[in-house]
Amino acid sequence: MSQYPPKLAEIVDLFEHLPEEEKRENLIAYADQAGSHSPKPGSSYDLEDVRKDEECTDTVGVFLSVADDQTVDLRVSLGAHVQTLTRAMTSILCTGLKGASIRQILDVSGDFVPKLVGGELVRARSQTVYYILTRIRSACKVWLDRKRAADLGIEYAPQNKTGCVAS
Amino acid sequence: MASQYAHPEALVSTQWLADHLGDPSIRIVESNEDILLYHTGHVPSAVHIDWKADLQDPVLRDYITPEKFADLASRNGITPDTTVVFYGDKSNWWATYALWAFRLFGHTNVKVVNGGRDKWISEGRPLTRDKAEYPRTSYPVPVKRFDDEIRAFFADTLAQSKAGRPLIDVRSPGEFKGEITHMPEYPQEGVLRGGHVPGAKSIPWKTAANDDATFKSVDELTKIYTEGVGLKPDDDIIAYCRIGERSSHTWFVLTYLLGYKNVRNYDGSWTEWGNTVRAPIERG
Repeated sequence: MSQYPPKLAEIVDLFEHLPEEEKRENLIAYADQAGSHSPKPGSSYDLEDVRKDEECTDTVGVFLSVADDQTVDLRVSLGAHVQTLTRAMTSILCTGLKGASIRQILDVSGDFVPKLVGGELVRARSQTVYYILTRIRSACKVWLDRKRAADLGIEYAPQNKTGCVAS
Repeated sequence: MASQYAHPEALVSTQWLADHLGDPSIRIVESNEDILLYHTGHVPSAVHIDWKADLQDPVLRDYITPEKFADLASRNGITPDTTVVFYGDKSNWWATYALWAFRLFGHTNVKVVNGGRDKWISEGRPLTRDKAEYPRTSYPVPVKRFDDEIRAFFADTLAQSKAGRPLIDVRSPGEFKGEITHMPEYPQEGVLRGGHVPGAKSIPWKTAANDDATFKSVDELTKIYTEGVGLKPDDDIIAYCRIGERSSHTWFVLTYLLGYKNVRNYDGSWTEWGNTVRAPIERG
């Protein structure tokens, strides 16, 4: 089993012991809080990755501020048509990964998702519950690659199409 | 003066819904793609019917049994005389899907709210999180499921294709041409081949809907389906998409708004056809 950052582990532990109905209620409560994890107006971030992908119904933006000890302040913006489960997962990840380092975030696997979402809600068209984690990990990887390149004194030239913009 | 839909009684406005919130003869049903959307707020007094958990068999790829349908109706306070009024997200895809499923079990007192959930919200109408509950009824177990009348299976669709009878592919143009195997903005749902059923005509479901999720006028719909692709009211028509929800929207348009008499929804759709060994496929 993967080791999760402590706050995420607490959330997973809570959900794991809830009946389906209460899981649902908690997911709604987290979805309600998704807006509070949007980037703060006027703030600048070390990495901004805003895009509309085929896998998701609306635009999602991932914003990272990385401290000297490589702990991450994570913010996520969501378009109006992003589905409720995806909103909930955004809120859970922003809360659960608070204070985690780049490396800890990169080590988080998606195996916790079914424990949160529950069997009744897992279906092909709810696979975007994994999407937010993928986007966050992708942004962390770009930040890390960029840092390594800078440390080596070479210009960073990403090979993938993450659309990340340096701030 | 604009022409009227063939069955205008099957389509109600958001204002009609607002005026009937306390009407004991109706049951308002929300059906969505977004699994949790109902729980974030819904039309007051509406119940939730989930396209998968409530309407589909949990093991077989099929719909629930008549016994389970009777239980579903009973626990939502529905009787055979209740008018069931459907609405939902995604321009009423799942509302029309649920309506079609109710028709499978012979429940014909059905309506759709024009514009669905989005229109209700855009007009600033009230939502509630209070879960609606009604006294249990004793809905009789339907004597049959009307599969033969409004549902097409793989063999029916193959026969339709071979006979050159009307087949309507309501997916996006990219899916029809075989350029993509999932609809834009959605995950892959496990289809191995892309393309369309030979002889099918591409009429994306969206051509029947306005930007505010309402249905187009009967004159516009006539231009699309009757004049555009030459469908006639007595034609034997099969509509399909990927899993039957977008084609339910078109099935509703053809059946209730244009009054075509023999329209079937192929719910197996492309996720069955595109995975079936040696099923004939056209591309482009």
